[in-house]
Amino acid sequence: MDQITTNPIVIGIDAGGTMTDTILVDQDGHFKIGKSATTPKNEAEGFLASAEDAADAWGISLQDLFSGVNVVLYSGTGMLNTLLSRTGRKLGLITTKGLEDMILMGRGLQAWADYSYADRLHAVTHHHPDPLVPRRRTHGVTERIDQFGDVILPLYEHEVAAAARKLIADKVEGICIMTIFAHVNPVHEKRIAEICRQEISAAGADILVYTSHEVRPVIREQSRLNSVLIEAYATSRGRKQLKGIEDVSKKYGFKYGVQTLLSFGGLTSINHPRLHETMISGPIGGILGAAYVGKLIGNDSLICSDMGGTSFDMGVITRGQTRIENEPLMDRFKLNVPTLHLDTIGAGAGMILKVDPLTKKVSLGPESAGSDPGPICFAKGGTEPTIADCDAILGRLNPHYFLGGKVVLQVEKARKAFEEKCSRLLGVGVEEAAEGMIEMLEADANNALRRVISGQGIHPSEFTLLSYGGSGPLHLAGCSRGIGFKDIITFQFAAAFSAFGCTTADFMRRHSVSTQIDIGARAGDDELQAFGTRVTAVWDDLTKAAVDEMIADGHAREKIRTVPFLMMRYTGQLEDVEVMAPLSAVNSPDDMRKIIAEFEAVYAKVNHRVSRYGEAGFSITELGLIATADKVKPTLVKRPLGKSDPVSAHKGVREAYIGGRWHKADLYEMDLLQPGHEVTGPAIIEHPATTLVVHPQDRVHVDEWTLLHYTHA
Amino acid sequence: MTSYSKEVIADLVAGTLPWPQTRRVMSAYKDDDRFFKYVAVLQDRVGWKDPILLPVSDHLFICQSGDERVTKCECGHSFGDYRKNWKLKASIIVRDTEESLREIYPNSDLPDPDWMEIREFICPRCGTLHEVEAAAPGYPIVHDFEPDLEGFYREWLGKPL
Repeated sequence: MDQITTNPIVIGIDAGGTMTDTILVDQDGHFKIGKSATTPKNEAEGFLASAEDAADAWGISLQDLFSGVNVVLYSGTGMLNTLLSRTGRKLGLITTKGLEDMILMGRGLQAWADYSYADRLHAVTHHHPDPLVPRRRTHGVTERIDQFGDVILPLYEHEVAAAARKLIADKVEGICIMTIFAHVNPVHEKRIAEICRQEISAAGADILVYTSHEVRPVIREQSRLNSVLIEAYATSRGRKQLKGIEDVSKKYGFKYGVQTLLSFGGLTSINHPRLHETMISGPIGGILGAAYVGKLIGNDSLICSDMGGTSFDMGVITRGQTRIENEPLMDRFKLNVPTLHLDTIGAGAGMILKVDPLTKKVSLGPESAGSDPGPICFAKGGTEPTIADCDAILGRLNPHYFLGGKVVLQVEKARKAFEEKCSRLLGVGVEEAAEGMIEMLEADANNALRRVISGQGIHPSEFTLLSYGGSGPLHLAGCSRGIGFKDIITFQFAAAFSAFGCTTADFMRRHSVSTQIDIGARAGDDELQAFGTRVTAVWDDLTKAAVDEMIADGHAREKIRTVPFLMMRYTGQLEDVEVMAPLSAVNSPDDMRKIIAEFEAVYAKVNHRVSRYGEAGFSITELGLIATADKVKPTLVKRPLGKSDPVSAHKGVREAYIGGRWHKADLYEMDLLQPGHEVTGPAIIEHPATTLVVHPQDRVHVDEWTLLHYTHA
Repeated sequence: MTSYSKEVIADLVAGTLPWPQTRRVMSAYKDDDRFFKYVAVLQDRVGWKDPILLPVSDHLFICQSGDERVTKCECGHSFGDYRKNWKLKASIIVRDTEESLREIYPNSDLPDPDWMEIREFICPRCGTLHEVEAAAPGYPIVHDFEPDLEGFYREWLGKPL
């Protein structure tokens, strides 16, 4: 891996809350990673610094890098920050009369989502997120469409015109329109938009109009409302940030458009019409990367776990199936954006440690020190001890090799503060307390993994755990101990695995609409034929919409593949499963039976075969279509296994405190480990961007793909 | 261990601390020195020098006035020894008719004045409403509580008076 002669073809960059990670990949699967602090005010700075770090590692200039690559992928935080800081567009809302307070009432769980368990229990801390549109700029208009799409009350157009004029006089920058059951029949939303546009042009104003059925015509009013509001509110700055990224890339010679990642795991250009679909993209890369690695190692049941500074994200692929979450939360707003499902707990190396002086109760987080001020040992002004400080105190982090030596860790400073604020209050030694804190964090993550696995109904011994993120390998041993995974894998590029995952994605569009089709258990041929005709008609419309968008993005028609899908359940259930249709159209009763059979097969895979219940009948709740176009992807190189003695990567010995005492741990350079090498603990395997701690008697061996397999003693 | 600056406590008391910060304070362990900072903030607000020992309500305090400990209004009016019920020396409005109750409940149901009356305790000097109590007609004026100042300072605050 030392002498790379080719140039990178893909740059994947993932800006997290703390760090911006870059991965460069060439056609043969060589890669280098770079890291830099995220710069929320102007993301292009962090992007460039991180890219430069990676280019340095590759040994080329930024100019050479950007002029040589075919794809630049970026997933950022611009929109999320706009939302968090409430610095988006000034909006107005027109809705069905009687629903004007919908924004203020919200969903109950929005008042406490993201809270610690203690705070959830204390209702006095509950607080609805600040509304994106104030009540005085929300106008109700008389109209009503029922759940079948029939017009019950006609639209009172004079009320719409009056509302539009008021909003124009209020100098709004965007008007959002959300009426009830518009996902079934959008005729009123369309007419309201038309009237608004007339009023806007009559007033000579420049105001954007958004309708909920265009953003996503899917059931559930509150999530649809939130989605249209956030699209209108946050995407302008997000787009500006992405444009900034594209501009600096072009300045250094990049010839194409920058791509960004969609929450359901595809790529799109930064001109994507529904940019809020890219808001939850960061951790998604990990699942994509996991699916890719799973194919390589021949196991399609995987748990991917990403531990960074703030959170521990877990994704599950069960027998090749990923789960789609239809109503994810974004800054405590429920959205209706399909998202690859992740379970998250607050657990990361940046977690602030607290000891209650009265009860001696220790608590981790949920606050994180982030990158600014960061842990005490960064010496950037942090004053609260964190897990990273414990790692430094115990010799697990190399004070002179953090981020490759760019940050020199002030271990003494961390030790002093930790002693004063934690260990002295607890009445135990500094090392014992520090290790205890780390064990608490690892136990939290360990329990979370067990919970996620038991929810799958499959024995842990079927699953391979993939551990990544800046602090994933550092706490891998404790997180995975005793669960009984089939295999535990980490990576030389663990710190940039999410960015790596993004580079394995294809260009994608996902369009869907809500529907209500109930198929009886004993439906006859005629009925099945009629259902099939309805399904096919919707798929045809969606295909046209998705393909048109991709062509507008510059893809050739013959390169675009389309796969229709259905969200199905047994009638009466509350949750859907996503079924990729085995056919592109349903033309006969047998075709419909094939689709039902496919649903039952998928259902049996994600649950258990005995849980099938066809007697209840089948319900289709959503019809959709995924359009994809291929992109050049990295390939990991397979190399023959060599000697097991890792002496060529050995770089010394360091005192590390593991399991209640100090050990002389062997120190290895992660990038120098070769296929076949075996490391036995106590050992520490270091990389500029991550550290793998091997506990005494545990073993790590490197396979032919240069993946690191961790085995507990 | 947790501690906030006096400015933060002042904002908290005034209700001007932004919500995210207020929630962090709520979720964190109680700050050890809160009481003294709280009292210091109140002391800055009142126009007199007698040291506040214990706040009784938003604008009413027990303070050390020379050798005496008295209940005092923010305006400086003294209600006398803190062990005596200060309400007895306040101006009192009693609402015990439908008409007088209607003044404060203009749009809703009223309590039955035969069963309940509302008493408002007002500073005779500045007119601040210090306390309201609801009691059955004829029930004596309620003595809300008589604080054990010595015990509170010694055992809870760790600083004997």
